Amino acid sequence: MPNYQEQLDHLFQSLADPTRRAVLERLSRGPAAMSELARPFSMALPSFSQHLDVLERAGLVKSRKTGRVRTYEMQAEPLRAAETWLEKQRKVWEGRLDQLDTYLMELKEKNSDG
Amino acid sequence: MAKLPTHQPDAALDLQFERVVDVPKELVWRAWTMPEHVKKWFTPAPWKTVECEIDLRPGGLFRTVMESPEGERFPNLGCYLEIVPNERLVWTNAMKPGFRPVGDPAACPGVSFSFTGVISLASEGAGTRYTALVMHADPASRQKHEDMGFRDGWGAALDQLVALAKTF
Repeated sequence: MPNYQEQLDHLFQSLADPTRRAVLERLSRGPAAMSELARPFSMALPSFSQHLDVLERAGLVKSRKTGRVRTYEMQAEPLRAAETWLEKQRKVWEGRLDQLDTYLMELKEKNSDG
Repeated sequence: MAKLPTHQPDAALDLQFERVVDVPKELVWRAWTMPEHVKKWFTPAPWKTVECEIDLRPGGLFRTVMESPEGERFPNLGCYLEIVPNERLVWTNAMKPGFRPVGDPAACPGVSFSFTGVISLASEGAGTRYTALVMHADPASRQKHEDMGFRDGWGAALDQLVALAKTF
């Protein structure tokens, strides 16, 4: 199990690509075979399959092989790690804004007193 | 003299791949139009083209089957639009053979789009200026194809074509 920082690195790197996000959006509706994830099959198809490998290494999708067909399924757990990280940053920032609010109100009251 | 192409490249909609290769255009043409040759270079390794059928005339069939390293097969059906031997080859996957339109690719979720491919060949010294123009319906489709790995894929395939043509 990679440590938390490494996990976040893989996660955000995987998400920083429009093709991979399109795949995740499709998989959020249910599992799909590679042939359902990308059409048409130009010479770009082998490169496309590498995008799926990146998603799988980041733990965002899991694949299984039935006969010759590999089916991909989305894994929600790693997204939770990203969500937790973002949530933490948001809270720090909002906390700071709240403090600023309070401080500004105090200043305003002092001013109107004087 | 050959007629000028009827299409105009549009940078917002098209992907273009151009390279000068050191094999004569007649050999590049052969590699693109004979099934036994197409099977040897068309798909970047370790993927393979395991089947190929060509009916070289406007409206004719261009069918390939790609196979992943795991043995999964991806059939690919297209229709030739224009054939100028040793100079220009135009086909599309937006039509089936006989010019029959295929359904709306947007109906298929995921990464999907249709395209028209134009391969142009011009002699340059002892070699060939090879231009692959891939036309799309809208900027989003162009982007999808580029992000999917257009340049890597078409570049790797051309390397394989050149290596093969040198054995002719």
